[in-house]
Amino acid sequence: MAIVRWDPVHELASMHERLNRLFEDFGGRAEDEGIMCGDFVPPVDIYQTDAHEVVLKAELPGLKKEDIDLRVEQNTLTITGERREEKAVKKDRYHRMERVCGTFSRSFSLPATIDPERVRAEYQDGVLTVTLPLREESKPRQISVAIKS
Amino acid sequence: MEVERLGRMFDELWGSASQTGRWVPPVDIYETDNHEVVLRAELPGMSRDDIHLTVEQNVLTISGERKYKPEIRREQFHRLERLAGPFSRSFTLPSSLDTSKIAAAYEDGILSVTLPQREEAKPRQISVAVK
Repeated sequence: MAIVRWDPVHELASMHERLNRLFEDFGGRAEDEGIMCGDFVPPVDIYQTDAHEVVLKAELPGLKKEDIDLRVEQNTLTITGERREEKAVKKDRYHRMERVCGTFSRSFSLPATIDPERVRAEYQDGVLTVTLPLREESKPRQISVAIKS
Repeated sequence: MEVERLGRMFDELWGSASQTGRWVPPVDIYETDNHEVVLRAELPGMSRDDIHLTVEQNVLTISGERKYKPEIRREQFHRLERLAGPFSRSFTLPSSLDTSKIAAAYEDGILSVTLPQREEAKPRQISVAVK
């Protein structure tokens, strides 16, 4: 069951963006811009459980629940949000800045076997877990076949 | 830092082909107005017992391991982007920090380590009497 289409162009584009960001770091941007914010692509795991549910886990450390937006629209699940930079910390106070802040958006097309009405989500320890149960009618059924002798 | 990031990027690019990529949690370090140095490491989805924090001779080391859920078999995955496995990062601390007053907290997948500066290292204002 294919739940997501791998999009190499998108991945290349994000790679390109990150490379750009890297070289901007080297060259240095205008000083008055404050803390730089780029786009980040949170890593996502998707797996199917034995309980006939598809589980999506996205790494969104350091976000608040209110900053995460999750919606299902026409069989497409979209997670969007924004990670803001540390407030009240000026750029010259940083010794090391590896974490990326900014907006993110990831979309996944859901198979028709998912029941969009029963999608539930929780956020704990920086991980957003979205549980997508399968429709009753698409769960595998066991049909016992009586074999007449 | 840039070299490390480049290394990490290429690790991600080429390393993803191998079974488990090397996981390097990103870290921010900054100074606050209260004369503290704060280190924030992204360690989402870990249990507190799996994070180890040590200070030895002015070197702070964060290490640990994120385990794959054993109850989920590989063939059940549709997409596997999150890295797992052991990690270790070390940082040399300046001697102006008081390592005996180290404090750490884990919230929303972020490990925050706070190190206050020694009293004697804090900036002082000395008023000069002008005759």
